[in-house]
Amino acid sequence: MKKFRWNKLSFSSKMVFQVGVIAALFFAVSTAFYLRLNKFMGNLDSVYSSNVDITLLSDTLKEVQDNMYLYLKVKSSDSLKNYYQSEAKYRELLGNLNDQTVHSASLLLEKNIRKMSETYLTDTADTVSAKRARNVEKYKKKYEESLELYRYISSEITSLNNQLFINNNKRYEALREMLRYLETSNSILMLVIVACALIFITMTSRSTVRPLTNMANTARLVGEGNFHVKMPDVESEDELGTVTRAFNTMVESLDDYMRQTQEGMRQHQKMVERELLMETHLKEAQLKFLQSQINPHFLFNSLNAGVQLAMIEDADQTGIFLEKMADFFRYNVKKGQEDATLAEELEAVDNYVYILNVRFTGDIHVTKEVDESLYDLRMPSMILQPLVENAVNHGIRDIDWEGQIRLSVEKKEDHVEIIVQDNGKGMSSEQIDAVLKGEGQQSAEQRDSTGVGMNNVIKRMELYYQQENPVRIISEGENKGTSVILSIPFREE
Amino acid sequence: MEKKGYVGIIVLLAAVFAVIFFSVNDSYYRRVLQLQGLEEEAGEACDYHFTMIVDNAESSFWRAAYESGSQAAQENKVLLELKGTGPDTRYDKIDYMNISIASQVDGIIVENNGEEGLAEKIDEAVEAGIPVVTVMSDASYSKRQSFVGVSDYQLGQAYAEQAALYADEDVKDILIVMNRLTDEKSQSQFYSQVYNAVSGKSDGTGQQVNVSIQNLLLIGSFDAEEAIRDIFQRKAGPPDMLICMDEETTECARQALIDYNMAGGVRIIGCYASDNTVDAITKGLIKTTCSIDTKQLGSRSVEALLDYKKEGRVNSYYNVDIHFVDEEEAAMLQRRRHNEKISLE
Repeated sequence: MKKFRWNKLSFSSKMVFQVGVIAALFFAVSTAFYLRLNKFMGNLDSVYSSNVDITLLSDTLKEVQDNMYLYLKVKSSDSLKNYYQSEAKYRELLGNLNDQTVHSASLLLEKNIRKMSETYLTDTADTVSAKRARNVEKYKKKYEESLELYRYISSEITSLNNQLFINNNKRYEALREMLRYLETSNSILMLVIVACALIFITMTSRSTVRPLTNMANTARLVGEGNFHVKMPDVESEDELGTVTRAFNTMVESLDDYMRQTQEGMRQHQKMVERELLMETHLKEAQLKFLQSQINPHFLFNSLNAGVQLAMIEDADQTGIFLEKMADFFRYNVKKGQEDATLAEELEAVDNYVYILNVRFTGDIHVTKEVDESLYDLRMPSMILQPLVENAVNHGIRDIDWEGQIRLSVEKKEDHVEIIVQDNGKGMSSEQIDAVLKGEGQQSAEQRDSTGVGMNNVIKRMELYYQQENPVRIISEGENKGTSVILSIPFREE
Repeated sequence: MEKKGYVGIIVLLAAVFAVIFFSVNDSYYRRVLQLQGLEEEAGEACDYHFTMIVDNAESSFWRAAYESGSQAAQENKVLLELKGTGPDTRYDKIDYMNISIASQVDGIIVENNGEEGLAEKIDEAVEAGIPVVTVMSDASYSKRQSFVGVSDYQLGQAYAEQAALYADEDVKDILIVMNRLTDEKSQSQFYSQVYNAVSGKSDGTGQQVNVSIQNLLLIGSFDAEEAIRDIFQRKAGPPDMLICMDEETTECARQALIDYNMAGGVRIIGCYASDNTVDAITKGLIKTTCSIDTKQLGSRSVEALLDYKKEGRVNSYYNVDIHFVDEEEAAMLQRRRHNEKISLE
């Protein structure tokens, strides 16, 4: 037989079970009431039945006596038949009387009546036999004896009837009293059963409805945005159990979804912030450049006018110088807002170096080793020129030996390495750290700068390539020169 | 499982409550019936059913004898039924004998006062296989199995002694009142026993004492009282000494003595130590009374019948002790009965 499991029951089965138990309880109590009441009513009905029985016994005795008398008187076969019938009936009724010697007045009376009646019936039988045998003397004597016994028995039956009647009256009164008591006690029992039923319903429905209450509370919390709440596990496998588990799964899914969305938003925000920062740095570079140049368009238009004037005057050197100046500033203005190719950057470096050499009468020696296949490599603009400018200003200026700047662009396995190397004053490791952290001091030479500092270069490299430490600075110490190495991610198309 | 436990507990509680409730109801119902005396315990069935037929079943003498007999009967699984003439029955002892014979009882104890036809009924019962024991007064000429009581000679002798004891010089007239049918021989024997005793005492004084016997032979309810009052109102005056041979006569004599204010004038020698008689002795109204051992009377009559039922034979005579209660013993008896009543209450 399958074991009964409450948790396995469906919600409706649980409800049916609860109602069923209550109904069974009430049915049992009502049946008990009914049976009890029925029994009492039966007792009440049968209270006087013993009197009825005794009266019937008395009537039958009279019939026996009358029929015998009638037979003796007329000796008809009808009266004899009647006598035998009534005698048989009387014997049958006698069988119901007590025949034991017991300590009970009424039972002892019954026994006496029974025994006397047996003697009486023997006498009447003798009387009838004597009559049939026409023994006149005997039947008269026997008749007298039986008549005497008949009177005794009648008298005893009357006594018994009276005694039973008195007892039955008392019994009737007792039963009436008992019925009144039953009314009260049954009312009390009903109240107790109702109380039990209420306790039972409260206990069973509480455990059934508890998941619903929990769910309502949890749903409210979820509604307030708390996705970390979870309903307690339920063993129950009914509809509520299913709904509870589904609810928990739903809350978990919502939590995951929210987390992913928040992450995406955070990423987007970060991207926007990066772009804004890059723009800010670029703007900062341009601003610095414009601050120093006030009006570059006016400047390089003027320079162009200078170029034309030099051509008219056949001053070729001056013309070339002015043209390089104009190209350099144009590049600055033009490429300030976008990225550039490696070739364009190299050209800007060439222009800058030419200008410097005109200024410093050819003291700046820049050698380039560039993989020509990388000319089209796109990179942030205004990167190489500031590095060369740094190498000039902080590296080889004011040194006693001849300054050399070497610019190489090499293709490595997964990146392109741009190295700007000088043989100047070199840097201490503290200086290198300070520069890489963007803490470099603006020196007096800045006044002579194009305005784009090392710090700006590093930030723009980081933002453009989205990698940390895109710039490395290597120096073996004082007067041992400095190498600035840019690593640009490269992927061959 | 938690819920199942709840269900079990609730159902169990309800069931226990219902069982307790219904058993309380039942016991309450039985208690109500018992209080009204309806639920009597019939108990175990007895082996024998004896009937005790006496003249006045309501008299304290016979009630005491019946109680003692009943106790002896219960010890031997016998039921003893008391039947007697009285104000609420129209049967006489002959009727009771007839009823007992017809009821096929196992034994009859009957007080034989010599009523006409009683001896024949005793014979009829014996012939029907029912043993009969006579008590107090014998029916020696019947077929009764045994007699339990005091023999006439013994009784006469005892009364004669008491008569002599209380017959002082003022006693000249002694009347013996009997209330039973007895043969002349017994009566004259009783007379001579008293006469001889009293005469023997008065021989020294030469005083002549007149002793007479009056047998009331009464059947009616109020005849004894009338007869006694007649004695007290005789023209010649009441006797100096009145010897009563039964309880009823003694009671009537005591009352008449008070009513006619003759205390001290008539010396009464009574029969049976009833409460009234004992009280009268302590007050000096009655000189003494013959106390018959009712316990012996009751138990021995039952034992006689049982002996016969079991052994098939029995002694034809069982003696019962008698003694006379004087003033001193009466006072003691009164105190003892008073204490017994208090302890019963």
